[in-house]
Amino acid sequence: MSINLIKPSGSKIAPVPKPLVSRDCGPAGCEVDWLASRRHEADLDFEGFNAFAMEKGWGDGLPLVPPTESRVRMFLAENDRFPDEVIAHLPPSRAECTVEKIAINAVMAGAQPEALELLIAMVAAVADPDFELYGINTTTAPVYPAFVVNGSIRDQLDIPYSYGCFGGVATRANAIGRAFRLIMRNVAGQVTGVTSQTTFGSPGRLASIVAGEWEEKSPWAPLAERRAGISGNAVSCFGTMGTMNVLDTTSQAARDFLEQIGKSVPYIAANCYTPAMPFAEMMVAINPICAEIVGKEMPNIEDVQECLWRYASVPADLLQRQHREQLEAQGRVRDDGRIYATPEPKDFILFVAGGLGGLHATAFHSFGSCLTQTREVASPIPASQAQAAE
Amino acid sequence: MTMGKVLDPTSTRDDDVASPGPDAGLLAGKKIGIRLDQIWRAWDWIAEDWAAKLEDAGATVSYWRSCGRSGEEGERMAAELKEWLTTIDMAIVGLANCGSCTGWTVRDAITSANTGIPTIAIATKNFEDFAHEIAARGGRSGLRVHVLPYPLNEQERGAVKAIGEAHFEGMLHDFGATIAMREAAE
Repeated sequence: MSINLIKPSGSKIAPVPKPLVSRDCGPAGCEVDWLASRRHEADLDFEGFNAFAMEKGWGDGLPLVPPTESRVRMFLAENDRFPDEVIAHLPPSRAECTVEKIAINAVMAGAQPEALELLIAMVAAVADPDFELYGINTTTAPVYPAFVVNGSIRDQLDIPYSYGCFGGVATRANAIGRAFRLIMRNVAGQVTGVTSQTTFGSPGRLASIVAGEWEEKSPWAPLAERRAGISGNAVSCFGTMGTMNVLDTTSQAARDFLEQIGKSVPYIAANCYTPAMPFAEMMVAINPICAEIVGKEMPNIEDVQECLWRYASVPADLLQRQHREQLEAQGRVRDDGRIYATPEPKDFILFVAGGLGGLHATAFHSFGSCLTQTREVASPIPASQAQAAE
Repeated sequence: MTMGKVLDPTSTRDDDVASPGPDAGLLAGKKIGIRLDQIWRAWDWIAEDWAAKLEDAGATVSYWRSCGRSGEEGERMAAELKEWLTTIDMAIVGLANCGSCTGWTVRDAITSANTGIPTIAIATKNFEDFAHEIAARGGRSGLRVHVLPYPLNEQERGAVKAIGEAHFEGMLHDFGATIAMREAAE
């Protein structure tokens, strides 16, 4: 037996902090036109523009805001980014995703300008080769990137982390997730039935999940700090097959709650038991009530991960022969005759969120060997301040 | 109606290689590589049967199996693929039989074709259009794709063997390969 452990690739380039100074001259524009996108003559009225956008293949079926030059300029003018800055090349189209393209899609989705830096961090995170966006955007699976936000930006952007944080809250932050999905469609080129082969899809492919961690209710350090040493605004992205509810109306002690969650997570057709890939991660959101109980007994998050991991396995003989043989060939059946959901306890990625009614946890099964990424969300520096510093 | 200008939200690449690349030509004496994966046992079976036929035609066959594509494992895979491509004269790359695995099959086939060696990707019918689409978006719209029936992996060994047998000549044709001169020499 030889378990294939999850180790991030070693080729990562450390992000270099830099002042964010805009070359945009504001809504009125300037002599130099920094916006490189093609202009289309269109009917700007509600019905007319949305029919135009759908015909062009730009839309997701919900109403879009026309990305007029003035709206895009306004969006950029409230930030400090160069519109022509390339943030990533996104698969499967491998096309350039510039700040300008992010802004145009954000305007169409109805996102607020203050969300630009978060959107940039989201795009940069999913573009990391370890995130395996190529597979995510083409697969037959229903996978989509979900995002967990840390830092004060949660409140600034009204990103939910309490009741209903994974869907259903009336907040303009929903447009951030929708903007990201439009970027996947219009820049990455993920189009269902054309490049995406998803058999069933998912509601998460419309506006994704953009939730915060309720850091103030967590007995442990914030997720981004634990994962990447980032103590301020940050976003973690996780390629998930969807949300899986875990109900517990009975447990009282920390280990009881964790046993219930740990034993509920693994099922034989979950991504973590696919023979296609040698390993998988697992993300779990623990509600604040449960987190408080668990945190009192286990102040170290590593102990929580270890406890969950020990419960999260299935006996190998639960699998049909053909399925079991493939995993045996990968060395994934351990000496105790069980197959664990993840290679190691650290591969359980935990955060605290949800309403104060408690009773539920949410598990997120991963996709393929997609590895969670965490990125800092940059804080814009006004041009005048940057120039003064020079 | 209020007319005005809107900015295009899309982004595309313009570069493309529409050529299928060089023909495989005469197989005798050639080193042929077959790319496998971890999922499709039917492709393992067909590859095994085709390898025997290719060796009968005077070629030698080596295999490379694609595993995890992220983290250190992914880096190792990329390095292995690059190295393997230097050891072969032509590549048969499969199997495009799901969404992500079509993506990776085509991506690896493009990597192979971009080295200049004759390359053919193998797809199943339901992923044929997708394979061409993803090849075009990868900058090689002319990538050769041979198509096997779908469903394939759901078939028993005997049925898969018959499919492999029936498609061998067609694959050679699509690959621009020939064993005729060897046969003539015999």
